[in-house]
Amino acid sequence: METAISVQHVYKDFKGEQVLKDVTHDFEAGKIHGLVGNNGSGKTVLLKCICGFLLPSSGKIFVNCKQVGKDCDFPDNLGLIIETPGFLPQYSGMKNLEILASLKNKISSETIRNTIRRVGLDPDTKKPVGKYSLGMRQRLGIAQAIMEDPSLLILDEPLNGLDKTGVREMRALIKSLKCDGKTIILASHNQVDIDELCDTVCEIDAGVMTVIR
Amino acid sequence: MRDIGVSGGAKRRRGSLKQVWTVAVYNFRGWHRNPRIIITFALAFILCFLLSDKAVKFAEEYKTTMQAVEAFVWTFGDSNSILLASLLLVLLFADMPFLGAGVPYYLSRMRRSTWLWGQIVYICAATFIYIVFILVSTSVICMRQSFIGNMWSETAAILGYSGAGKAIALPAVVKTLEMSTPYECMGTIFLLMLLYTLLLVSMMLAVNIRRGQFWGVASVFIFSLYGFLINPKTFNAFMHLTDEQMYIANLWAAWVSPLQHATYSMHNFGYDLLPRLWMTYVIFAALICVCYVSALRAMRRYNFNFTGTD
Repeated sequence: METAISVQHVYKDFKGEQVLKDVTHDFEAGKIHGLVGNNGSGKTVLLKCICGFLLPSSGKIFVNCKQVGKDCDFPDNLGLIIETPGFLPQYSGMKNLEILASLKNKISSETIRNTIRRVGLDPDTKKPVGKYSLGMRQRLGIAQAIMEDPSLLILDEPLNGLDKTGVREMRALIKSLKCDGKTIILASHNQVDIDELCDTVCEIDAGVMTVIR
Repeated sequence: MRDIGVSGGAKRRRGSLKQVWTVAVYNFRGWHRNPRIIITFALAFILCFLLSDKAVKFAEEYKTTMQAVEAFVWTFGDSNSILLASLLLVLLFADMPFLGAGVPYYLSRMRRSTWLWGQIVYICAATFIYIVFILVSTSVICMRQSFIGNMWSETAAILGYSGAGKAIALPAVVKTLEMSTPYECMGTIFLLMLLYTLLLVSMMLAVNIRRGQFWGVASVFIFSLYGFLINPKTFNAFMHLTDEQMYIANLWAAWVSPLQHATYSMHNFGYDLLPRLWMTYVIFAALICVCYVSALRAMRRYNFNFTGTD
């Protein structure tokens, strides 16, 4: 079993309030891992710790054998959606993704166009993102997460705001990403998403992580 | 092998510089139809109008002309005007440390230090634009009676030599007129004001990253209050100083108050013990560097808490 992410005895507290308590878990590569829990249980905090945005108060997180916060600031080869997708509202989806892609300069415009098509949006539309529906923004958020073909995806409530067709299409997309060998961590409140998509499921309750499946 | 290593390093550096630039430009893109930015610049214009009013009215009253940048020189040669203009800048950077909903996407594609350098470039560029706006605004306000030639106007001569400047609290001192030309003086005041405001916002950034948003804003007010209180006029108001004591208070304030350092007339032009202009430039530059080094060190352990949506 190849481990993509290893979380080792992670504690996180904010001003004395403990949000994560001794979280230890190995996430196997090439699988979809579900993360469930109530609002405020610590799911997003754990995901942010894995992404490197928050540093654990104690404990270690390894992503692809590199310790986050020590060997790297943010894990390489990582695509993510955390919270509400935020884009520059005055630009089109294509322009937004081009700006983001220019930071790594790894992919061409054609790749971005194909990714936008893959999530069911039109790359040629001039409509600014400010006029997108929440569902369209969510799709664009997924497009920015997968456009550089990362091996690891952190998706926090990626199906929020999507209609029935959108949910169906995005579930199919997430399954196809797994077939491409990606490791995906999916946080969701929707039990159907978790049951249908995830190979393993962990629950976080008051900062304590339990393996359910 | 070595050549490849060098070229790889150069390529990485170029890549990082491009990322720094992208972060700075990304922040400027957030200015588009942003009410906070519009309000800041609108208030800055109103502030310039109110502060330069004395000089403009004086010229109108005496039916004299003004040099185009004189309104800026007389207005922002005064520490209180600099203080007010710099405090308004806090509104421009109220969302510091700039962690909107779009930030995770570009942050995850770079290093922490690269992101912070992007913010530093943004802060420097935005402060520069703000001070240029103030300069242009004051020039526009007095443009009806101004000329662009590089010589002091009649208004300046009356203000400086007759003591009228002192009477209406305009810092039109003789040494200003005799030591430089209007554009040279404008350049010096612009640089002093730029460095002071840069120090203010750099400190706000460093404290913001070290201690959080509340203390970031609080530090600006504490710093400004310190500058406002360390003022020879304040000392005199409270302690009724003799001329000799006033001279010492003046010297002391000129050295220890950042706001007095930013004031043109509180410098040594060859006949007193006040700091020289170059000394002030070095002190400000050093303090700004200290703020950035402090912010960069704190960034290693900084926890990003993203706020708001686009």
